[in-house]
Amino acid sequence: MNTGVIQGGWEFVWAAYAVSATILTGYGLSVFARYRAALRRRFEAGSTVKP
Amino acid sequence: MVRSKTPYAFIGLAVTLLVWGSVWGLFYAPAETYMGDVQRIMYVHVPTAWNAMLALTFAFFCAVLSLWRSGMAWDNRLEASLEVGVVLSSLLCMQGAIWAKPTWGVWWDWDPRLTTTAVMVFAFGAILALRQFVEDPIKRATWSAVATVIAFADVPIVYFSVRWWNSLHQLQSSPETVSKAFHWPLRINAFGILFLMIGLISLRTRLAALRREEELAPPLPETAPRRAPIAEGASS
Repeated sequence: MNTGVIQGGWEFVWAAYAVSATILTGYGLSVFARYRAALRRRFEAGSTVKP
Repeated sequence: MVRSKTPYAFIGLAVTLLVWGSVWGLFYAPAETYMGDVQRIMYVHVPTAWNAMLALTFAFFCAVLSLWRSGMAWDNRLEASLEVGVVLSSLLCMQGAIWAKPTWGVWWDWDPRLTTTAVMVFAFGAILALRQFVEDPIKRATWSAVATVIAFADVPIVYFSVRWWNSLHQLQSSPETVSKAFHWPLRINAFGILFLMIGLISLRTRLAALRREEELAPPLPETAPRRAPIAEGASS
């Protein structure tokens, strides 16, 4: 019988949290890696500040 | 140049809050009467929506200030907030699709809220793409600032779309329309994503500043003597 109440659905909940965690972590790591690479390039170009 | 650890502190605080808010939302908050457990997606979807719009609003202010003032500092902030805003908006669409399937029966529908959000993602994504094709930093700053001001017109339309048109998407919630049992995980995750956004925009701004420095630096002579490295933050 259709009660109008959604049954189950935990797989969608886990999917939403997994996608969020993956994208936010991946993007965070990408920014960090690009920043470190830019610092390294600047050091190799003669900057006195260590990366 | 002294690099503060502030962005990392924001990111660390954000991770702590997001873990706390998500565990609360997943395991301790009650299921909603009609949507059941699926409603737990709200604890990540709504904070992502708020902060995506906040990042793009910050991008708009950076664009205005970039046009108004000389120098590249506001353009660096514009680039950072655009990128973070596009990432959050894209994530928002994915979370929305995952929530739509069990509640609406479809992954996507061209209703006013979803359509205007898709326009927002593509418009700001196109500005990021435009920046890749313009080599002159001054022209890049001006063009992307003007494009951001134009694209920002869509952000209030996204917000008000559910009020202006007959939308499948529900109206904005407020503390009066959301059960008290749902408040805390929502608030904790909202601050978690806010702090993450601030930390990432700060770090991404530094990256943009380093790239501008590379672009604008005169080429080094082949025989330039290399100076000895000194510790970061050491007084001269």
